[in-house]
Amino acid sequence: MSGTAVRQAPQQKSRSSAPWLIAPGVLWMLVFLVTPILLIVYVSFWTQTTFKIEPTLTLQSWKAFFGSDTYLNSLWTTVRIWLIVLASTFIIGYPTALFVGLFVKNKTLSTVLLVICVIPFWTSFLIRVLAWRPMLGKEGAINILLQKFGIISQPIEALLFTELSVIIGMTQIYVVFMVGPIAFMLGRIDPNIIEAARDLGAGFGRIFWKIIFPLSLPGVVVGAIFVSVMVLGEFATAAALSGRKVNLLGNIIVTQVGSLKWALASVVGVILTIVMGLVIAGFLRIVDLKREL
Amino acid sequence: MTSQQPVFRLEGVSKSYGSVTALRDITLSVNGNEYISVLGPSGSGKSVLLRVIAGFDVPDSGRVVLEGRDITDVPAYERGIGFVFQNFALFPHLTVFENVAFGLRNGKVPVAAPDVEQRVKDMISLVGLAGMEGRGVHQISGGQKQRVALARTLVMAPRLVLLDEPLGALDANLLHRMRNELRAIREKLGVTFMHVTGSETEALAMGDRVVVLDHGRIAQFARPDQVYGQPATPSVAHFLNRYNIFEGELSGKRFTGPFGMIDAASVTPADKPACAIRYDRMKVEEEGAPGEGPAISASFVASEYLGSSVMYFFEAADGRVIEVEHHLSLGQPQSFEPKRRYRLRWKPEDAIVFGRG
Amino acid sequence: MESRVLKPVLAVYTLLFILFLYAPFFVLAILSFQSGPEGGPQFPIIEWSTYWYRHIFGMVPPSRIAPLPLGEALFRSLTLAFMTMVTSTVLGVMSAQAFRRKFKGSGLAFYLIVLGMMVPGVLTGLGVSLLANNILGIERHWWSTGFVTHVVYTFPFAFLVMLAILNRFDASVEEASWSLGVPPARTFRKVTFPLIFPGVLSAMLFAFTLSYDEFSRTLFASGRDQTLPLAIYGTFSVEIHPNVFAFGVLTTVFSFALLSVYAILMTLSVRRAKKVAMQEDIA
Repeated sequence: MSGTAVRQAPQQKSRSSAPWLIAPGVLWMLVFLVTPILLIVYVSFWTQTTFKIEPTLTLQSWKAFFGSDTYLNSLWTTVRIWLIVLASTFIIGYPTALFVGLFVKNKTLSTVLLVICVIPFWTSFLIRVLAWRPMLGKEGAINILLQKFGIISQPIEALLFTELSVIIGMTQIYVVFMVGPIAFMLGRIDPNIIEAARDLGAGFGRIFWKIIFPLSLPGVVVGAIFVSVMVLGEFATAAALSGRKVNLLGNIIVTQVGSLKWALASVVGVILTIVMGLVIAGFLRIVDLKREL
Repeated sequence: MTSQQPVFRLEGVSKSYGSVTALRDITLSVNGNEYISVLGPSGSGKSVLLRVIAGFDVPDSGRVVLEGRDITDVPAYERGIGFVFQNFALFPHLTVFENVAFGLRNGKVPVAAPDVEQRVKDMISLVGLAGMEGRGVHQISGGQKQRVALARTLVMAPRLVLLDEPLGALDANLLHRMRNELRAIREKLGVTFMHVTGSETEALAMGDRVVVLDHGRIAQFARPDQVYGQPATPSVAHFLNRYNIFEGELSGKRFTGPFGMIDAASVTPADKPACAIRYDRMKVEEEGAPGEGPAISASFVASEYLGSSVMYFFEAADGRVIEVEHHLSLGQPQSFEPKRRYRLRWKPEDAIVFGRG
Repeated sequence: MESRVLKPVLAVYTLLFILFLYAPFFVLAILSFQSGPEGGPQFPIIEWSTYWYRHIFGMVPPSRIAPLPLGEALFRSLTLAFMTMVTSTVLGVMSAQAFRRKFKGSGLAFYLIVLGMMVPGVLTGLGVSLLANNILGIERHWWSTGFVTHVVYTFPFAFLVMLAILNRFDASVEEASWSLGVPPARTFRKVTFPLIFPGVLSAMLFAFTLSYDEFSRTLFASGRDQTLPLAIYGTFSVEIHPNVFAFGVLTTVFSFALLSVYAILMTLSVRRAKKVAMQEDIA
């Protein structure tokens, strides 16, 4: 019966079409994402004349950036605002995520709640940013309401055209990106675990710190990455709500490109990329996301 | 009549998934117009065996030969081997008719529409679903889904049909009817069926021959009566759920077990020594009653009425459970006192002794 | 237990949270009914009127307030969003399909694709502009450089949606199709695709929405002719007027209508696909 030689069958099925399927997507990203980013690095070293740039390599633009207080300030401002908005979206968003993800048992209801949170996104981003102006201004809605309820006698001026207004605006716009992933992770927690802990006599405080929060951590990390990416790349909210006072790295890139100062814009671009890379890498160390996906 | 031509062969087929070896060096030859049962517990590799034959998985080594043609490297859609899935895998977006017609309409070789109509109609009648052609998949019962899955495969006139636990999702009543129908349909069409199951009664009832798989190896491949009466290994005896199996020592042809010593007429080769006695080959006697032949003492625990037979459960001194089956056609059931000791006796020739003789 | 106290507290908090999310929209909606053309985008409401809605459609006599540059910008946004939707969904489906088997470099490919959603618009926009302007020497247009940047952004989203859908897809229907002699390509067309279609719809909707509202990438990469968000951005530094708000209300209502259409389409196609194919447990 088995006098014939035993063959080694090939490991992969011959009809493996994976390379062909993945090639277009990968190719697109390489050409239109990776190459442009590498180009930014490259151009940051080009020589800048008034309206043109030349491929002669120089550190001129780099020195211009680090030699200027304005530009360095914008770096610190960007980082500072990022941290504040990150913290505020986390603090404001977590309880909501806790409610929707953990306490709402009905799956339909939790989906509905999440959809309700998403609906504001259908109003164009820019218009939503603009809508904060009449809210925060001296004669804005908030001041009117507070004065009407007699909480304050004078309108609060610091609400609009300050750093605070940028922070409020960004928090409100990006907080949903925190709530979503966290609610998702919380929804995946097996209620039996919490039951078991309660049966063993643990109070809610302990259950939260030892069980709920750690299990929600991947969601927190995803949310943090989303928010960070968006805040670090921001410029529109700052432009609309701070009246030119708050200058983020994004704003600088926009203005520099506007005056065709490509080299300097690229320098800022590189710095922004480095900051973002560090932030994302840092977050990914906290949680091994590939396992969760 | 079972044709003597092998319709397919497996030669030295092995398959591992990571560190788990699912199939070890499987060599098997199956004839045309034959019903083969594949029996084994979960983890024995029986589903993997089917998937390798079907072409869904590629073996690490070995050959699959269909009607003389080496199909080891041939993809599943070119093998012409039918497959009935455990969960039926019906196309949920198509009607019953469209499900059955799917292979004819979408294969590499186009089939004329009137031919498709005719063949599908005939097949639907054959499996007993006439009138249901227009129904959606979610509008039919489990048993009916089973038939659609069968019809869909059979209408392609395959040389071989693989069935992966096809009766697993059916309830008891339906089970027996479907068993008979499966056999009837197969005989009518003259195709070879290979039917995987974890149920020993099903495997013995359905197959002309039975393959018993144990940890990826073929432990026995024989007719049902041979498997039932002369299990080739202690594992096979264990799967059959019909044997009391005792460990012990073997020297020459003398087996020493918890019941004492017996001299075996022959020893079936196996890795470890064991002695297997079928449930219905033991007789219950009073302690102290005179008798010939090997016996073991045990106390009565309970009895279970199974319709055509009664199962008595005994507990031996070392705590093991011994089962004795009494076919009611042979006489009235006896009644025993719980916790009272009895002697369980058997004829020496009824004991199957395993070991390195 | 404490949850008896905690749950209502959190419920109230969530309510306040939702109010917080919607607050600008309420303000926006109220102010859109400001009287015009003298009324500005702030309180108090001088007089309730639909002036600004009519202003958008050009139904009021000309004033010093320039109408929003809709029309062409809207057309470009819609077309661009449509092109992006089709391209990124096709790429997303193909890539997710590739990930159903392990292949060498799959980890790298995965991160490369997901990178597209991680890099902020300013950077990709800047990079593509550099590529076009300074290296290739071609002009930037919304339908070339704008388009490719939009796809870079939306393709990862479509990809992740399809990945999640295909992960839950029970492949036994595909194997059944093969066992019937149907080759893989046709199996995909006739079996797989109809069953994953609801997911494809979601991916398409996602991609369309992201592209339609996309702004920061487009800012650099579109060249002269503007898409809608760019047109609105143009009015930022200049005075803003309630017509922007009226426009915002209209677009939200429009999006709401779109979502209802989508929900209807979804329900219809889900009814066809049924849960039978999605990991049916054997009873």
